[in-house]
Formats: sequence, C-alpha cells, structure tokens
Amino acid sequence: MNDLGSIVVTLVIAAGLGLALVGGLRPIPIRWPQRRPFLGGGSQTTHAWQRFHLRYYPMTLLFIAFEMEMMFMYPWAVVYVEEGVKALGEMAMFLSILSVGIVYAWREGVFRWQ
Amino acid sequence: MARGRLSLAMSILQRIQSWAPVPVYPVIGKGGLRAIERLRLDPALTLVSSARHASIMLVCGDIRDGDRPALRQLHDQLPHPRATLWCSSPPLCDAADPVEERGDDATVALRQLDADLRAGTRTTEADWLPDQPPNAWMGKGDHGQGGKGMMGGVPYGRPMAMTDEDLRDGLDLDAMTISVGPFAPMLPPGLSLELVLQGDVIQTARILTSAYQEEMPARETSLWQASRLLELVGLAGLARRCRSVVQMTDVPTDSLYAAARRAGAFFAVPPGLGQIGASDVRTRLREVLSGSPSSMPDSAPLLIDMMRGLEWQEAMLVVASLSPRLLETIAPVTPTGDDRAAVTKKPVPHQNHMGHH
Repeated sequence: MNDLGSIVVTLVIAAGLGLALVGGLRPIPIRWPQRRPFLGGGSQTTHAWQRFHLRYYPMTLLFIAFEMEMMFMYPWAVVYVEEGVKALGEMAMFLSILSVGIVYAWREGVFRWQ
Repeated sequence: MARGRLSLAMSILQRIQSWAPVPVYPVIGKGGLRAIERLRLDPALTLVSSARHASIMLVCGDIRDGDRPALRQLHDQLPHPRATLWCSSPPLCDAADPVEERGDDATVALRQLDADLRAGTRTTEADWLPDQPPNAWMGKGDHGQGGKGMMGGVPYGRPMAMTDEDLRDGLDLDAMTISVGPFAPMLPPGLSLELVLQGDVIQTARILTSAYQEEMPARETSLWQASRLLELVGLAGLARRCRSVVQMTDVPTDSLYAAARRAGAFFAVPPGLGQIGASDVRTRLREVLSGSPSSMPDSAPLLIDMMRGLEWQEAMLVVASLSPRLLETIAPVTPTGDDRAAVTKKPVPHQNHMGHH
C-alpha cells in the first residue's frame, strides 16, 4: 500500500507539473510562411512525402552484420581463456567464413558509394 | 527578497547575453558582396547560413524586382523577435518602420537593433506574406487530406511528387522539384536554380535567375571564391583565413595554399569533378588559392548540363568553383520553352554511381 501511495503521489506531481507547463507556456502559433522549408528564398513545388532509394542500404546491412559478429567475440574471449588454441581455431574458422562474405559483397559492388 | 534575487540573476543573464555575437542572415544584392564578406570577419556578429537561426536579416545591395518575393519569404522565415537592416538598399514597401544604414560599417547598427529587440524597446516585425497555405487543402477529400486518391490532392497545400525514371538505373521512384536561391548561402548571390531531384542526385536543372555581377579586382574575386569552396568542404577556419588575407594586398597567398594542402582540402574534392577541358574543381581550387593563372579553356558547357547526374554537394562545389565571369556566360536564365527533360531521360553513367544497385 505504501508503494502504491508513492506511485500515485509521483503520478499526481508529474501530471500537475505537465499541466502547469502546458498552461503556463503559451505555444507560439506557427504561421504558413514559417512552415516553408528554408531554401534560400526558393520553394518546393511538390510535397516532401516521397519515395527515394536509400542507395547505401546494403553497406549498412553489412555493417550491422559485422557489428553483431563482434558481439559474439565478447563471450568467446571468456571461453578462450579456458579452452586456449581450440577456441582460437574455431573463431578463425568463423571469421574466415565471414570474410568470404565480405569478398563476395566487394565483388558485387556493395562498398561503392552511390 | 526572492524577487530581488531573481531580477538580479536576470539582469546578469541579460548582460552575458549581450556579449554574444548577433546572429545575422545576409541577403546579398548587387554591390553588396564586399561589405558582407568583410562583416564575416567581425567577431561581434555571426553570419548564419539559415534564416531560421538569425534574429536580424541584413539586406545589402540592390535587389532585382524579380527577387523581391524571395526576400519576403526569407523575412517571414526568421523566428520572432526579428528585425531587418537595409544597408545601401532601398527598403521594400512591406517594411513598417524600416531601419537603414548608409555607411560602410553595419556592425554598430546591427548590435543596436539586437539590443533593442532583446530589451523590448523595438517590437518584432510582422509577416510580409499572407498566412495562407500554397494551395487550399483543409477539409478536402475523404480524410481531409486535400483531395482524392493516394496520389491526388494537395496535402498541406502541395501536390505529391510524381514518379520519374532515375538517371542512374531507370528506377521509377518519386522525383522532387525544388527551387533554391537567389539568396542561398551555398550559391553565388542572385543565382537561383530549379532542380528535379531523385534522393540527392540532380536529374534536371534550370536557371531561374542569374548571379549578380560585380566588378572586383581578380585577386579579391579568387580569394572569396576560394573561401566559399573551403567552407563547402568543411574547412571554415581556413575560409576565414582566406577572407582576412583579402584585406592585406601585400601578403602572398603561398602559406594559404600550403595550409589548405596540409588540411587535406584537395582530397575533399573528388578528382575529375566538374571537368572543363583539363581543369576540374580540384585544379580550380588550387589555382584560386595559389593565385596562378586559370587553365580553363575558352569554351565551356552550360552549367545546367554539367549539374545533371551530380549529387547535391558535388553540384554546389562545381558552382562555387566557377568564376563570376564564367558563370555569366555559362549560366544564363533557362528559357521557359527549353525542355531538357527529354534529353535527360537517357541514363548517364556517373563516375561515382556505377554500382549494380
């Protein structure tokens, strides 16, 4: 009951502060000329909701894949202390398989900036 | 007691605020470039590159009649409280209680305006444009989105982008049309472009207004050109040094060239970019920094043809690397009947865009 009471008090204080801020700070009205994007005096003819190709996405996916691989290496480092050369060999195998992936991606032109 | 402490704290804060440089957005007209470039060196001011970050708009030089709508738009984009200083430029009729400065040094007037705005002795300037969306849209359509269908209507007053083939691989995604300038910080003053973009690659370009022409000594022109290029590659400190050298006519620019080379300025520009004859952007940056004669051929392709297929940053580097004199000849206003879209449909292999995707 004590815990519940403190939660209720916290919520009431938070809601009170929030309402005081909303009421106390008058929002600045945004007028239509202010909504235009800044283009040095220029304007846009079409809406900014549009589809375009994120050209560097294969590079990003590859980056995430290799970052995840680094996460495997932290627990491996702990095991390596106990296992020794055997663990080293296993990690070398894992890394060499991934390296083939890099070579393939390179060949496919993933690393070219477009 | 508490009230007294609060007002003391506020007055100390206000005093500290008054030491800060005044954020100013420069609008450069004909004959105003030199004064603005000098003001950039003034520690009492910050010449910001977006109207959203400024409290004062500084209009310097003559503005063409056709550029006045752009000026009105920029003015209304400044956040409140805001003011405008007209320096060697006749104020627009929209301006109520305009502040003019006829002397060479606008710093004092700018600081005074800023102090008045902060103290509340000068009221903020009202909008010069009507408070209306570009097209009427509210309440139209089934969901109030401004029209009918997925691609129809004008949500928030603007039509949706239509599909267009990408220059690189013919991918049919949305092409966005924008106009930039004539007072954009990354373009020469007066130049405004209409661009059709796929992502940040320029599909087609048109020139809406040409750059303002100014008579200046060759050394001055090259150094200001160099400073703009250095700013575009992210070396603002070196750009500042370039501007300070302009004032000292007896100082050779050798050390400037060496400093740019040490900072890697030339590596920041892709090789072969904006190639005209044997000269590319890198060569031109080297020439304007070292003060060596230009290696440009007599004839050059039109700017709108050079911009096709370039990424935004590359295109801005190409524009900044061209001398005002050359810009006058290769960047004339594109006639309204000139439809280059048909020409640009052909896929062009771009140096940096030759991947499989």
